[in-house]
Amino acid sequence: MPDLPELNPVVHGRLRLALLSLLSGVEEAEFTWLRAKTVATDGNLGAQLSKLEEAGYVAVEKKFVSRKPQTLYRITEPGRQALTEYVQALKQLLGPAIDL
Amino acid sequence: MQDHITEQELKDRLSLIERMIAEGRRNTESWGWTFVLWGAAYCLAIAWSAWSHNPWAWPVTVLIAVIVTVVVASSKVGNHPGTTLGRAIGSIWIALGISMFPLFLTLGLSGRLTDQHLFMAVISAMLGMANGASALILRWKAQFACAVVWWVAAVATCFGTDAQSLIVFLVAIFLCQIVFGIYGVIADAQERKRCGPIHA
Repeated sequence: MPDLPELNPVVHGRLRLALLSLLSGVEEAEFTWLRAKTVATDGNLGAQLSKLEEAGYVAVEKKFVSRKPQTLYRITEPGRQALTEYVQALKQLLGPAIDL
Repeated sequence: MQDHITEQELKDRLSLIERMIAEGRRNTESWGWTFVLWGAAYCLAIAWSAWSHNPWAWPVTVLIAVIVTVVVASSKVGNHPGTTLGRAIGSIWIALGISMFPLFLTLGLSGRLTDQHLFMAVISAMLGMANGASALILRWKAQFACAVVWWVAAVATCFGTDAQSLIVFLVAIFLCQIVFGIYGVIADAQERKRCGPIHA
């Protein structure tokens, strides 16, 4: 029997997984948009985004638009790779139980 | 770590990924209101030009509809992120607007837009093209049905009396702009309701 794959713990957190999935479908996203889509609190969202940033899975850009601060997040290539590998590991773990 | 994870949790993660990717790409469905707005604008322009035979009825109505669309869209889009899909769909409709406005404005002002059948057939064909392209990109059957209605209208308005072709055109506007627009608004509202909070 082949070895079962390990699930990446950084990607596995529900909110972090949701954030990576959201960012994988867009070019870049504002903090407020991510908050609206995940319905998470500011503190929790900020903490999870920081973990993803520390892992190198998301890149952050801070700028001012019409004198208002704007924080933009985008998924990096390692982040996209980690998400892809996570999905492959999930499919492998679920095996025949998967119903896609 | 997966020793403690149940099969249900793993399936939950997969469905979360699918839902979030779809959520990021969903921006195109929030445009139902523009279909209703433009449907109303077409009806207003038809009524105005039929009532007063004013050559400025269409250009003025279309210009007002463009201004309303730009103002409302810029306030609605807000912090929505850009996607390749969204840009592709947006490009189709912007290109349609840029093609239609100067064409019909110059045809009207030069006095060459005298055939009502031709006018309605060309508008219907152009709207069929935009709806068809958008529907094929989004794989959206409801919008493809609208494209078919516009293509049928483009052919049908070439035949019959002025009144018959006008009725065909009005029916197409009602189905593809008003009904489809309201359907888009309702579908978007229902989708928003389904989204719950995601915990860490």
